[in-house]
Parts: sequence; C-alpha cells; structure tokens
Amino acid sequence: MTTANERLIKILSGMKADRPACICPGGMMNMVTKALQDVCGVYLPEAHTDARMMADLAKAIYDNECFENYGVPFCMTVEAEALGASCTMGTQLFEPHVTGYAIDTVEDYRKLKPMDLEAGRAKVTLDAIRLLKAETKDVPIIGNIVGPVSVASSVCEPTRYYKQMRQKRELTHEYMQFVTDDLIRFALAMIDAGADVIALSDPSGTGEILGPKFFDEYAVTYINQVVDAVEAAGAKMIVHICGQMKSVYDKVAKIHSDAFSFDAVVSLREARKNLPDKVIMGNVSTFAIEMQDEKTVDKLTRSSYANGSDIISPACGLGMGSPLSNVQQVLKTVKTFAE
Amino acid sequence: MATKEELLQKMSDMVFEMEDEEIADVCEEYIEAGYDALDGILHGLVDGMNRASEMYDQEEYFVTDLLLCSDAMYAGLDVLRPHLPEDASVGEAKKAVIGVVEGDTHDIGKNLVKIMMETAGFEMFDLGRDVPLDSFVEKAKEVDADLIMMSTLMTTTMPGMKEVISKLREQGIRDSIKVMVGGSPISQKYAEDIGADGYSRNAVEAVEVAKRLCGVE
Repeated sequence: MTTANERLIKILSGMKADRPACICPGGMMNMVTKALQDVCGVYLPEAHTDARMMADLAKAIYDNECFENYGVPFCMTVEAEALGASCTMGTQLFEPHVTGYAIDTVEDYRKLKPMDLEAGRAKVTLDAIRLLKAETKDVPIIGNIVGPVSVASSVCEPTRYYKQMRQKRELTHEYMQFVTDDLIRFALAMIDAGADVIALSDPSGTGEILGPKFFDEYAVTYINQVVDAVEAAGAKMIVHICGQMKSVYDKVAKIHSDAFSFDAVVSLREARKNLPDKVIMGNVSTFAIEMQDEKTVDKLTRSSYANGSDIISPACGLGMGSPLSNVQQVLKTVKTFAE
Repeated sequence: MATKEELLQKMSDMVFEMEDEEIADVCEEYIEAGYDALDGILHGLVDGMNRASEMYDQEEYFVTDLLLCSDAMYAGLDVLRPHLPEDASVGEAKKAVIGVVEGDTHDIGKNLVKIMMETAGFEMFDLGRDVPLDSFVEKAKEVDADLIMMSTLMTTTMPGMKEVISKLREQGIRDSIKVMVGGSPISQKYAEDIGADGYSRNAVEAVEVAKRLCGVE
C-alpha cells in the first residue's frame, strides 16, 4: 500500500499516484483549530515555544484524520522574530504576530544580525522536526518558511519598505539577498533535521500588491533562490501564491517550484491552463470549512479534484473556529478518489 | 508667471507621477500667486490621486504606486491646508472609524483605504492595527461615527469582525452605524454572513461602497 509520504513525494515529482494527496502544510496555511487543541490537550500559544508540544500538536492533526502530513511551525513570525522584530505569541485563538519592527528603513538592514538557529523559536521548530523524524514514519514532514518579501516587510516597517523597493532598488536588493540567504539557511537546517518538503508562502509579496514588474523583480527572483537551494538538498518544494493571479501568471510560471498552491479566489481550471506542466495544489475554501457544513465541504473538495488539483488542500489558513467534522470531511472525500 | 490652471495641472501631475520632493515648491508658488487653497486641494492634489486610482482600477498602478502618490499628495496638503479659511469645512464630512482587528498587524491595506477615504472627503479616525474589538465600538460612540471599517489579512482573526457587529447590536447602536469589512481572506459572502453592510475588494472600491452606504453624492 502507498504510504502518505510516498504518495506526496510521487505527486510532487510529477508522477501518478493512487489518488490525490490531502495536506495542509502549516505556517501561513494554518491547520490547528480550537477543536483540535481540545481533543489532544495541547494548546497554543504554549506550543509555539516548546518543541515537544509543537511536535505533539503536529501529530494530532494526522492522528485525528485531518490531513496526511505533519507540519511546523504554526505561525509566520519565527524568521521575523529571529531577525529582531518583536512579536506576541497570541492566544489559543490568535496567531502570533509582529508588534514592532526591527528597523524603520531599509538602510538599517546592515545592523541586523543573521538568525540564530540554535536559539529561540528557530531552534524549537528544528527540534520539533527532529522529534517528528525520530518518532514517526511514512508521513511527510513539512517545514514551513515565510517568503522573502513577507519577512523583509515584517522586519522593516512595511510602508517605508514598499516605497524604497522602487526608490532605492540596489539597496533593497542587498536587503533581500541578506533575508534570502538566511531563509535558505533555515530551510536547509529543516531538511537536515528531517523535513521531506519545504512550503513557502509570501502573502505580502503578491502580484496585487507589487504589480507584475516588482513581483518578478523581488518575489520571483528570491523565491527561486530558495527553491533551487531546497531542491539541490534533495527535498521537495511547495510555493503558495496568495491573492489574484491574473496579472502575474507568466511570472509565476518562472518559479522553479515542484508545486503551486493557490488562494480560493483563483480558478484551478484557469491555473491548470496557465501552468500546464506544474503540480497544482488547492483550494477548498477555508471560509466554507469554517462556516458551512460537511455536505458543502464534500462538494467543494470534489470540485477541486474535478478542476485538476493534484493535491487537495485548504485554500488558505484554517479559521480557528472550524468544526473538526468539516476539516475531516476534506480527507474523507479525497479517500473516495482512490483508483 | 504660471496661470492657476497650469499650476493645478502641475500639482495633479506630480501626485500622479509620485514626485513628492518638488510638489511643496509648486504648492508654495500657487499660494504666493494668491490662488484659492481649497481649489488647489480638490482640483490639483486630489485630482492627481483620483487619476492614480483610475490607473489602479485598470491594473496599471499597484499598491506600492498608490503609497508613493499619496506621499506626494500629503506633501502638498501640508503646504495648502494652513491656507484654508477657518470655515472651510467642506459641508458636513462623514465620519469613519477604521482599524485592523485584534490579532493582526498587517496595515498596508487599511492605510491605503484611509488615504483614499480622506481623499474623498471623509473624516477618518484611525485606530491603527491589532485593535481590541471594544475600541471600535467605543470610538464610534465617542465621535458619533457614520461608518466603521475593519480589515484583516489573517483567517484566524476574521471572527473578530462578527463580534464587533454583535457588540454594536448589544449597545443598541447597530442601526445607526454602517459597517464595512475588507482584507484578502474576506469575501462578499462572508460580509453578508456576519451581517456587515458592505465589502470591497480594494481601496478604490471601498470609497464607492462607503459613499453609497453613507448617502454621499
């Protein structure tokens, strides 16, 4: 029988599997809900800072038949905090988020110190991956990193950063290179710790925000550096693209990633047409998973599959209030696709 | 010497072309020539910003462009505003309270909506980001707001919007205040489901929806 790990790796390698995989990577693509925390007795925000709890919560997602993967961390602030931004760990219901920037202007990036992977939550995340690797088998472990533009605009005050992107291009590129080198170091450490797949989301670096020209210049360029490094290290790569795609399809096609995941606003049929040779992941509405019933989730899951999705997943992070039965319905439906 | 029309055109062009350094000089020249400050704002600066929003609608301009245009507009406003006559309140401006709901700190979109709303003549009360839900209600009562605008970029903080609406209802003021929501995970459907009055996909559209809800124009 095909294991969950074999299936996902097969699909990410462009090969045919017995059925689509059903995953939710973690990171920005949050898969922890309040109901799940109650079931397994491991709670946020504590699990953000404790490797044992982080690994246990990640396991609970698979054990409770929500998704066929493990994934850590459960937020988008590990890199920004390690680079000097202040963060709050949030609550059981709110994700950690940045509360203070490390620098107010891109010029100051030279004052930043590279991330310490042996301390803080970077270490917690790597330790959690090590625990998952040592204690489990056959289930893919996904390490999540935040995209270069999102990290850059979480460390530097974003309004200033976005302006300097066009006013001081050379300087902004230096800053982006600094951030990207660190992200690569973190991703490779995750692979070394046992991650099978690296997933990256860059919600602050979308085509809608940057426009096609700057999306190409700042997002695509540096995302590709991460993808190339990850693939050279033998792991697989998923890139989640936030927002509308219409203006940037040709730019997205330039990203070297094995697979692309999309927002609910993107038509999978259209994505399939524009990216014929890529593995496509998505995009069951998280809104429906939180607010509708199992029947609707079942219908949307079937429609994702019918529209050409190779890996069925939520379109974005799950809402904390999503009922467990709705979350589980996605996988239940996917299992009926077995050939 | 440049005519009034020439200077207005120049101010509009500078906003549109994101030239925030020389625009103050042009505004000074305009004031020194004795031209009307309010005309300068409406037919020069705001005109440029409106042209920029048209480009945004056509996907020729993007968020970063609008931020730079607004820098130029504000640089001009700093010069022109002190020259407005005391009683130049442009009719009764509608008041709107705006903020990013608790749990989220992404405020680029919110800032842009605020800029476009100000450009359209609304009086804006900006609560900032990561705003405790009660603050929306308190501020709205304090300033007798016509509109509350909430945004979030995170799926996990969306339910806060619904809670604010319930709080307004509990306080018996839901019917006297319009509520708009926005942000990338939000949709028209979500807005309807939580009982908000309006939703918009972007900052330019937000102004149209706000005007419609508040009965402006």
